[in-house]
Amino acid sequence: MSPEWMSDAPRPFSKVLVANRGEIAVRVLQASKEAGLSCVAVFSESDSSSLHVELADESVLLEGGTLEMTYLNGNAIIEAARSTGADAIHPGYGFLSERADFARAVESAGIRWIGPSAHAIETMGDKISARSLMIESGVPVIPGGQIPVEGGADHLGALASAAAKVGYPLLIKASAGGGGKGMRSVSVPKNLRGEFEAAAREASAAFGDGTVYIERLLNRARHVEIQVLCDSHGGAVHLNERDCSLQRRYQKVIEEAPSPAVTPGIREAMGVAAVTAARSVGYVGAGTVEFLLASNGEFYFLEMNTRIQVEHPVTEMTTGIDLVQKQFEVAAGLPLGISQQEVSQNGHSIEARVYAEDPSRGFLPSIGDLVVWRPPSGPGIRVDSGVREGDSVTIEFDPMLAKLIVHAPDRQSAIRRLDNALSSFVVLGVRTNIDFLRNALTHGSFQSGSIDTDFLDSTDPSELRGPDPDRPTLVAVAASAQRLGMDRQHFAGTETVDDHTGHQGDPFRTLGRTFP
Amino acid sequence: MEWSVPDEPERYKASLQEAEGTVSVTSLTRDGAEVHIPETSVEAEGRPGRAMVKVGRATKLAHIARSGDTWWVHIDGRAHEVAFHEQGSRDSTSEGSLKAPMPGTVLQVMAKEGQRVREGQHLMTLEAMKMEHKILAPKPGEITKVHFSEGDRVDMGSSLVEIGD
Repeated sequence: MSPEWMSDAPRPFSKVLVANRGEIAVRVLQASKEAGLSCVAVFSESDSSSLHVELADESVLLEGGTLEMTYLNGNAIIEAARSTGADAIHPGYGFLSERADFARAVESAGIRWIGPSAHAIETMGDKISARSLMIESGVPVIPGGQIPVEGGADHLGALASAAAKVGYPLLIKASAGGGGKGMRSVSVPKNLRGEFEAAAREASAAFGDGTVYIERLLNRARHVEIQVLCDSHGGAVHLNERDCSLQRRYQKVIEEAPSPAVTPGIREAMGVAAVTAARSVGYVGAGTVEFLLASNGEFYFLEMNTRIQVEHPVTEMTTGIDLVQKQFEVAAGLPLGISQQEVSQNGHSIEARVYAEDPSRGFLPSIGDLVVWRPPSGPGIRVDSGVREGDSVTIEFDPMLAKLIVHAPDRQSAIRRLDNALSSFVVLGVRTNIDFLRNALTHGSFQSGSIDTDFLDSTDPSELRGPDPDRPTLVAVAASAQRLGMDRQHFAGTETVDDHTGHQGDPFRTLGRTFP
Repeated sequence: MEWSVPDEPERYKASLQEAEGTVSVTSLTRDGAEVHIPETSVEAEGRPGRAMVKVGRATKLAHIARSGDTWWVHIDGRAHEVAFHEQGSRDSTSEGSLKAPMPGTVLQVMAKEGQRVREGQHLMTLEAMKMEHKILAPKPGEITKVHFSEGDRVDMGSSLVEIGD
């Protein structure tokens, strides 16, 4: 039974399988429940007790020890949908979300694909064809040029001459890429070979496609992206911009809306360009058109992400539009029901990505058990997370633990709210970047809104270090805690055993779960 | 019982006094020398993992938990680690050895036994979470031992390469 609100929809569905894990799986599963849809999770062996599995109405184990056998295994996921009777698949971000062949296979299995067409994914996913299409459609692209380079050492000659034409510094990017994987900057010719090989290797490991291309590296630019929403009736709107300039090695760290560098004029021009880009591929669903904004106000198309993005909550907070709900509506064939004039911008929202990583040791991934996990709460505070207290953090998956999102009337109060929320985010047992986020957020350059995408990588690390702790006092506290036996206070008391069934855990939490 | 904080070799010892659910510190030494700290006491707050910490005249809530040999203390909005050690134990760090900074897979091995290397020379590439990390020589010298080959999985802290003078 599809929900009541879908009764007039041309292509209704009733049960959504979420082909993902972690916080985005949790986000989409929750949205499904709120929309009155049944939901199915898939999981690998090591995720069997993860939060997303707990949340779903049903869950299906994907057998195998590698990502290719589990979350990247399109056939197994379609089979899971069949066996559970799921009539729609939401891919989240990452994994199979931008695989055109998977989108096609889902549709031909008679299952609704909650995303754009395979054609749109293919065209935008190939950075080279996307670029040509943008030039045709009149959307500005990065100056310079780009030359496709297939993986393999025999292409080094072509690469070197192309690099000479584009000029240094340049950027090597995975054609199938995203999230900074397979992306390397090269400042001088002698590093070209090494960085190229690393980029191609990373690209083939992460995306199964080692094709890379090169592009002129623009300095002192901001990363500004436009959220678009398109329906299958020709309706298309943009939901304003997000500024994601605070990046480390091309990984976004803090995102905000609106951008402190975008004027109403730029917003309108960029919005029009983004809608033009989306229309040029017949886009349907939620998508993001990324631009580089130069300090003179000119902007250039970077790429289009044909999926929901990690940072989508800042747009939801400022426009009041639930993007995942909109994805469901559009997939069911309903019209958008909003015009461009109706898109509002309310206050300021900032998102900080909490990673299990160690800023004091080159941001290496950290592992351990989340012995204590107390996310902050309160007015204007939202936490999207895929973990809970007691979970283990391993190196198997992406190190992002949670997204902390705040909403406040203006930018300064949003910064203060985020800093305060971060300070009460208690994570013990695993090193995180929480302190680093606070230090970046309160840095003068971020406060004044004047950073560019090089800010984190070019700023002296000492400026991003917090106050020195009083180490002897900390030792005194730890020694006292040990004497008090604080390690022997067991947490077991929170898990109750039901006298009748013998089940462990809160019966309400496990109620309604079925396992195939 | 000895204590240390991350990235510092000094060892601390604390003398403690317990009365009615409150532990106070009577003295603290660092590598044998007395360190003066504000009057510090800790009182369990009743719920697991929470304690009232009094430093000088200020009392505040701290979240405290132990994981392995590390005590984690979240106080004043930041998390800290303090490690404890059995008396007299020393970390078995041998000079010139290179330890895996994270668990992962060895992707490339450039270093060969007997090879002379410069400081900063690329010796090995590790991969974790699909990102590559270069292992660089911390000092010039001769490679005396390479412990892993391409494709091997390494645990955090395993010795990867040894460099002699």
